[in-house]
Amino acid sequence: MAILEEPIKGVPMAKNYINGEWVESKGEIIDVVNPANCQVIGKVGVSTREEIDEAVKAAKEAFYDWRRTPAVTRCRYLFRLLHLLEENFEELSRVQTQEHGKTIDESRGETRRGIENVEVACGIPTLMMGDSSEDIASGIDEYLIRVPLGVFGVIGPFNFPFMIPLWSAPYAVATGNTVVIKPSSEVPFSQTKITELAEEAGFPPGVWNMVHGGRTVVNGMLEHPGIEGITFVGSTPVMQDVIYPGCGKTGKRCIAQGGAANILVIMPDCNVDATIPGLMTSFFGNAGQRCLAGQTLIMVGEDNRFYNDFVEKVTDRARSIVMGYGLDESVQMGPVRDAKKKERIISYIETGIKEGAKLRLDGRKPKTITGGYPDTCFLGPTIMEGLHRNMRVVREEIFGPTMGILRVKTLEEAIEICNESPYHNGHAIFTSNGKYARQFQYDVISGNVGINIGIVAPMAFFPFSGMAGSFMGILHTQGKEAVRFFTESKVCIHRWL
Amino acid sequence: MKLCTASETISFIRGLEEKGAAFYESLAERFPARKELFLAFSRENHKYIKQVQMAYQSVITDAIEGCFAFDLDTDDFILNTDLPRDTGMADAAKKALEIEDVILRCYTKGAEQSGSLLADVPRNFKLIVKKRQSRLETLRSLR
Repeated sequence: MAILEEPIKGVPMAKNYINGEWVESKGEIIDVVNPANCQVIGKVGVSTREEIDEAVKAAKEAFYDWRRTPAVTRCRYLFRLLHLLEENFEELSRVQTQEHGKTIDESRGETRRGIENVEVACGIPTLMMGDSSEDIASGIDEYLIRVPLGVFGVIGPFNFPFMIPLWSAPYAVATGNTVVIKPSSEVPFSQTKITELAEEAGFPPGVWNMVHGGRTVVNGMLEHPGIEGITFVGSTPVMQDVIYPGCGKTGKRCIAQGGAANILVIMPDCNVDATIPGLMTSFFGNAGQRCLAGQTLIMVGEDNRFYNDFVEKVTDRARSIVMGYGLDESVQMGPVRDAKKKERIISYIETGIKEGAKLRLDGRKPKTITGGYPDTCFLGPTIMEGLHRNMRVVREEIFGPTMGILRVKTLEEAIEICNESPYHNGHAIFTSNGKYARQFQYDVISGNVGINIGIVAPMAFFPFSGMAGSFMGILHTQGKEAVRFFTESKVCIHRWL
Repeated sequence: MKLCTASETISFIRGLEEKGAAFYESLAERFPARKELFLAFSRENHKYIKQVQMAYQSVITDAIEGCFAFDLDTDDFILNTDLPRDTGMADAAKKALEIEDVILRCYTKGAEQSGSLLADVPRNFKLIVKKRQSRLETLRSLR
């Protein structure tokens, strides 16, 4: 199968976009590397404190007029952006694959999910409507309006370079706020491309800004008194130690989404043929680098024959996964983002072995990479058996293409293990029995719950939920909750004398 | 060659439909009396390509098993569109039916395999199979 054409050509510089101008960062310049072929595909600047200050200043100045632009007019900018995103659907998807490594199917899925958020935000004239009550006392009326707050910071992760900032940014600008987006500097081109389209859509200067960089930019956002709130998606330690307390210190609103170690529960009555592809996607899709990926598979029941047959089928399917460069349409799994992340995943596999896990499938040294690419960032699917509930590979986030299997006798025990996990992002059950499904949904502590779904990714019109170590804040990104987050309720009581 | 991902399957189906469309265009040239009919078939093929592409791009979310939805073998769906110069209408229609059979089998098997995984994609495969039935009847009447 031929490789689809790469959209990023030469070695372009990912520039900042501040106040409607493309400007090269004055900070250190670093390489952007395609993890599949290890080629440098671009450069990006690690922006300075002054640069983030400049972006916030521009966003703050733009807020005055943007907030006064009627919601119906604001959403017309979003309709234009939506149209441009659709027109550029394929290119946007290929950019993700080229800079991140995920397969083209996964990138197109990510593009669709991102676009869906713009679609939902286009309904802002309705979504932003308030409430009213006539005659709360005789001749006195009361109503509530939702008002924008000012500048918001949007901090994106490396694993979904296109979609995740769109969980926030469209809602922020639709509600009349202005934004400063900081993409992951490992994968800056997806957001650069979106920002080019936002510029083409005609957003006034300062409404939509983007600053590349790392910790300096994040700290600059957290400490800046001109930023009203932050949305963040990234690791749990950064969420807990940096973002949430940082927002607290300066009184910012905060949505902070962290990591996960999701558990998928297999009941003996599940539809095996339909379940296995779901498990492949959940555990090995996006090379395991998603906060909704499965990490532990709990097999319920004492039927050894079912267990052995099921695990054999899962192993056979995992063994046959085609690895390579995601722009090859036959590839089912791409590399992990970089060699350092690969090492971290391997160290977890080794920890598992030390703690007593048996390797059913060892992906540490992949034998075949379609296209003969270097194995620098490639890891094959790994399946570990014989896990127990207290092992680190069950309780800590691995964020790679691994599946750990443990066995329990009852569904109650499986739910107990889910609930004692430090993370509660996307646990799921596979069963044909409605009673088991309901019991699981009811008793499990998890922001997103899957019933015969391996990746419990909420649609744009639902909040992207999460609990405990996976989330800090009150409201979530996406849909109506995002609208609430980006607005304040202003309650008015009128009496005309 | 095995087809496992949605992306390569959709590309393969596009190839089949394009080849089929080109075949009908050649028939339109060869049989002027039926030109409009064959050109309409060709246009329909292109419409089906769009329909499948739209279904794929509309549902290919990261919750759905795009990379693991199919297990097709391209050897089972080889399209031979060669037609000798002096072929009459009856043989041309027979050939068209053979081509349709290959395309329909591909859609049907693809729909079976991805039925519980890709939502609107298998649904559209089935719709296309259903819509094509009248074409089959027309072709049979030309034999």
